[in-house]
Amino acid sequence: MLSFILRRLAIAIPTILLIITLSFVLMHAAPGGPFSAERNLPPEVLANIEQRYGLDKPLYQQIFVYVSGIVTEFDFGPSFKYKNQSVNDLIASGFPVTLVYGFWSFVCASVLGISLGVIAALKHNSWLDYAATGSAILGSVLPNFVMAPLLVLLFTVYLNWLPGGGWEGGQIQFIIMPVIALATSYLAGITRITRSSMLEVLGSNFIRSARAKGLPAHHIILRHALKPALLPVLTSLGLSFVGMITGSVVIDQYFSTGGIGQHFVNAALNRDYSVIMGVTILVGSLTILFNLLVEILYAWIDPRIRY
Amino acid sequence: MLLNPKKIQQLAQNLASLPPDENSSELKGRSLWQLARARFARNRAAMISLIALLLIVIFSIVGSSLSPWDHEQIDWDAMADVPMLGAPSIQSRHYFGTDDLGRDLYARVIQGSQISLMVGLIGSLIAVVVGTLYGATAGYLGGRIDALMMRSVDILLAIPFMFVLILLMVMFGRSIYMIFIGIGLLSWLDMSRIIRGQTLSLKNREFIEAARAIGVRPLTIITRHIIPNVLGIVVVYATLLVPGMIMTESFISFLGLGVQEPQTSWGALINEGARSIQNGTLWQLLFPLAFFIVTLLSFYFIGDGLRDALDPKDQ
Repeated sequence: MLSFILRRLAIAIPTILLIITLSFVLMHAAPGGPFSAERNLPPEVLANIEQRYGLDKPLYQQIFVYVSGIVTEFDFGPSFKYKNQSVNDLIASGFPVTLVYGFWSFVCASVLGISLGVIAALKHNSWLDYAATGSAILGSVLPNFVMAPLLVLLFTVYLNWLPGGGWEGGQIQFIIMPVIALATSYLAGITRITRSSMLEVLGSNFIRSARAKGLPAHHIILRHALKPALLPVLTSLGLSFVGMITGSVVIDQYFSTGGIGQHFVNAALNRDYSVIMGVTILVGSLTILFNLLVEILYAWIDPRIRY
Repeated sequence: MLLNPKKIQQLAQNLASLPPDENSSELKGRSLWQLARARFARNRAAMISLIALLLIVIFSIVGSSLSPWDHEQIDWDAMADVPMLGAPSIQSRHYFGTDDLGRDLYARVIQGSQISLMVGLIGSLIAVVVGTLYGATAGYLGGRIDALMMRSVDILLAIPFMFVLILLMVMFGRSIYMIFIGIGLLSWLDMSRIIRGQTLSLKNREFIEAARAIGVRPLTIITRHIIPNVLGIVVVYATLLVPGMIMTESFISFLGLGVQEPQTSWGALINEGARSIQNGTLWQLLFPLAFFIVTLLSFYFIGDGLRDALDPKDQ
């Protein structure tokens, strides 16, 4: 197990290095730089600025300086756009926001999705099953950028219950819509997967034996059926997590929540390379970490899996 | 002699003289694809979706001839008071209304449909071609080459795809071609994994062994013997991939980082509609949204129907 974790982490390092190299090469290949956009600077001034940020050095040296900065001091460099802020500052201001609504979306999507899927499977072919399946199908074509305007239309424009955007330190009325918008499509996916895998498990021989033995229904479901049924769901939970982090780009843009996605889009528009890269590396590492977690959970739930 | 040759000859004559009846055509062997087609035709949701999708495709091709407005043309009268004069009506011949700039939404939805559908189709085409070849090659060759090829896929999959796509769009100009390149670069990864798994289970079967024994080259085995046998799964997965591609493009365009004016796509139109909710011009959101949702639902149902039709487990 330990060697598996170590091996996985060993793959993570070239992945992150690849992200960094890729970003540097892209930046180098792209026409125009972070300082050529705003106004026509005299060449001497431009050279000075580029020297200050180390952009005049050859590419491999830039990559080396950047990577060693991260490894030794956990420093992602200064923002090219905001003079007095470092990438660490921007991430520190945006990430907690993303974490709050991301966490709640994840909890809602997984808890509700798994319960709905289990109920639908237990009441197979009843109206409950049809309702759950139907809404799951509909939900899967309602991504965050579709849900966000629809929610605002309903709750802000018509009902006037919730503010259409903002964060204000994360009061509940500002969190509700981002969470629903972010969670809907993943909730639908989790429901669908849970239902089909639960149906498969419920039809298997060991469940029939458990029933024949006269075990109470809740015991069969919770102790015997749920565990194997959750295995395929775990994989989709990993994907949902990544999707939700990506979705924060839309949520921040539409609801002005000021999370990490907002910094990313602003940085992308301003060609603020260091911020772009910092956010990409952060998201990449989180993805790798979360997938590792999923695989460990997999082995814990299913003892047949040995790494 | 156990068999009487005369009797056998008589039997053969009798058989030959029988009139060809209905039953004999029934008994003709039916291929996997014929059976699949029959099963698919019986799936009502899938057939309705197929018709809906065809209607949308036809609409996006010929719809513009039904309207006098061009997608770039500005109706100055309607622009003066979009919530009132820009509303959908037959008289003004703005069937879907106009946007904030007085441009005809009907024409713009048609244009957006063309681009969104094209992104979906081209994206999955790349995924099918590259992913199938890559996965089949890795699975067939096996060993170290397989390990190397699949590790690279693992590493690429760990990269936050959407972020790289945004990066590409920002750095190399926001154009539709950049979206194709970006989506094409990464869409084939999952496909290659699925095909590799299938190839692994195929490659030890007798017919592959036979091909190898008579000296068929590996490339020919892959293209002539392995790929035709994984085609069913490729078709199902490609159908389910299209909505994903459309969603990716719409996501990027919703952020304003995708297709640029005067071109548009469903995502860009939904974005415009979403920004003008407060003005009471609901049609700007609802028309593109309806097209988006109906198309995506259709693709899901068709994909599900194809899976049921092509999956021999479910007979």
